Amino acid sequence: MKRLNPSLIAGGVIVAGIVVMALVSFVWTPYDATLVSPASRLLEPSWSHWFGTDKFGRDVLSQIMVGSRTTLFVGVVAVGVAAVIGVPLGILAAMVRRWPGEVIMRGNDLLLAFPALLLAIMFGAVFGASTLTAMVAIGIASVPSFARVIRSGALQVMRTEYVLAARAAGRQPFPIALRHVLPNVTSLITVQASVSFAIAVLAEAALSFLGYGTPPPTPSWGRMLQESQEFLFSAPRLAIFPGIAIAIAVLGFNLLGDGLRDRFDPKLEDRR
Amino acid sequence: MKPSFSTRAVAFLAAAALLAVTACSAGSGTSSGSSPGGDQNLAIGLVAEPASLDFTTTDGAAIPQVLLGNVYETLVKQDDSGKIVPSLAKSWTVSPDRKTYTFDLVDNAKFTNDKQFTANDAVFSINRVKTAWTTSLKAAMDVVSQAKALSPTQLQVTLAKPSNDWLFRMTTRIGAMFSESGVSALATAPVGSGPFKFSKWNRGDSIVMVRNDNYWGSKPYFQQITLKYFKDATALNNALLTGTINVIGTVQAPEALSQFTSNDKYQVIEGTTNGEVLLSFNNSLPLFKDIRTRQGIRMAIDHKALLDTCWAGRGKLIGSMVPPTDPWYEDLTGVAPYDLAKAKSLLQASGAAGKTLRLRLPTLPYATSCGQVVKSQLEQAGLKVAIDQLEFPAAWLTTVFKNADYDMSIIAHVEPRDLGAVFNAKYYTRYDDPTLQGYLAAADSGDEAAQVDNLKKAARRLSEQAAGDWLFLLPNLMVADKSVKGLPTNAITENFDLSKLAR
Repeated sequence: MKRLNPSLIAGGVIVAGIVVMALVSFVWTPYDATLVSPASRLLEPSWSHWFGTDKFGRDVLSQIMVGSRTTLFVGVVAVGVAAVIGVPLGILAAMVRRWPGEVIMRGNDLLLAFPALLLAIMFGAVFGASTLTAMVAIGIASVPSFARVIRSGALQVMRTEYVLAARAAGRQPFPIALRHVLPNVTSLITVQASVSFAIAVLAEAALSFLGYGTPPPTPSWGRMLQESQEFLFSAPRLAIFPGIAIAIAVLGFNLLGDGLRDRFDPKLEDRR
Repeated sequence: MKPSFSTRAVAFLAAAALLAVTACSAGSGTSSGSSPGGDQNLAIGLVAEPASLDFTTTDGAAIPQVLLGNVYETLVKQDDSGKIVPSLAKSWTVSPDRKTYTFDLVDNAKFTNDKQFTANDAVFSINRVKTAWTTSLKAAMDVVSQAKALSPTQLQVTLAKPSNDWLFRMTTRIGAMFSESGVSALATAPVGSGPFKFSKWNRGDSIVMVRNDNYWGSKPYFQQITLKYFKDATALNNALLTGTINVIGTVQAPEALSQFTSNDKYQVIEGTTNGEVLLSFNNSLPLFKDIRTRQGIRMAIDHKALLDTCWAGRGKLIGSMVPPTDPWYEDLTGVAPYDLAKAKSLLQASGAAGKTLRLRLPTLPYATSCGQVVKSQLEQAGLKVAIDQLEFPAAWLTTVFKNADYDMSIIAHVEPRDLGAVFNAKYYTRYDDPTLQGYLAAADSGDEAAQVDNLKKAARRLSEQAAGDWLFLLPNLMVADKSVKGLPTNAITENFDLSKLAR
């Protein structure tokens, strides 16, 4: 059995922690995360409010717990959108040679030329700011990276003997893609998904910060940062806690991605 | 392998697209980073950018804020205390039956298209309100039966019935004087007789005004004034701290005010405004036709707590649609005091409890902030509230204001004496109340005492009927470089008078 590497363990623990926090928030948070309580606004961290309260008197810890749901939800949907579009495109580009394959990949390059945030802001401006718009925009912006990685993996698979044999036996391209290519690029998809997840978390935070993401009062780490701007001098903790949460989540998913890549990539395994 | 032509062509297209994108962002970055410049230039930071420059066809307070009194002038205007004083009219007389107004006009005013201002332009402007204007405010001119030029400098206006309101309305945007040959491109190239000329509009960023050196009155100090628009309250504050602007025209992050009060470089001005922050109800919906729903919502809101939470306690609780600077102001905060138990039972009785109401908010700092408090407080009273943010001005004006596709919204109504304009069946509040209209008509046609008396009754009626909920009155909060003089303490007119500013 392959040895578990430190990145994978650390990343796995962090991501599991965030997932557990999000799940727990469905059944329990210290306080109602959206309940405005003017009497307890801007309280310093204490035993009753571990991370203090914001200008609406809402408990910061409860908001971070509920905000993790938004983060995970956006990540899952954005990566889902990217994978559902990017994986078939990558496999198609690898299997269909000559100009159709080239058209797919150059179209991919064109999309890659657009910065993800700019694309998401354009989406937000046209379709209105919402979690859904942010998710879809981040997902579409992540399509090129999926398509590129999967294409390179699929090209390798296409040269293997079992695929050549299947083609010689007269198998149609679609069954080959489904039965031979897709299962052999699953590890690549997993690695790419966890790296894209980290990017999606950061992008959602940035979009919410700019007002193009999750609308209030649904807690979102990015919007918590935005709302804390007024208090950067008087109550910097309001920016620090969601900032740390975003940093940890991004670190967790990146470590997980690194760990998975190390585990799945045989060449790296040999080098160890 | 050498790349094929098609590969290179696609690569070129991709690079061109990328360059276009970066060029766009670089362009906007350069303009927003410009410095206010020398002593003769001033930059003022504001929040709501106009949707158009034509207030004859487009609603919104941002247009007269910029243009009225600066580019366009009126026959009469309000001074700082709210008194009606001469402007393009040197003086005026009113006939004993209070139906005929005769104005003596200045003889040296010129429009920026070099045409002389005469009584014919005044007749043209007054008649044009009735024929070409499309905003609901034009109704204030319905009372005029005839406008006649007696000579190039004498204008006679005959009203169908005596009206206390008409002369006051002539100080607002409907009283703006246009040049007959200068109305072809109002949305982009306004032509007026005022102390400033419109220079350019960088959409999404700024409007530039330059001094009208041919102005007939005393010329303004500043050669150029740039009005810069910020969507983000903190960015607005930072722009002053970094010297990008010299004045914050309206502070949108009152919690952060301490960074200016404790700094000798800046002056903080705090006064009052006409800006009633209204939680508006769509009174055409069956749910809101039931007074118990409306009253329940009013009583579910703890206004003091709301003001403290969302606007740092700055502003004033008013309880109806009248600011304290109007002669018929009464403190009506006691009409529907915060009473959660009573609110719950009212909402239960009207069948509103448990229902989901859409709170469609414009993307303005006070609305976003107060919306969250309103949602939380109404949910404690048994309602469900779904917040929906609409980009301001375009999306909000179309969806809420024009199509009335909303349940509740929050917006500050900054027009002066706007009680009758806001609460009628044609406006987005869709509030149809013959009793209220009766008070307003009596106030308009009666003498001064009757006007005050009837408008007091109208304000009380609105409050008792809970036609909306008046969350608070916006304060006039301005921060400026210490060297800037002439900033108004109170903002009680539709315009931001730039001509009085100096250094």
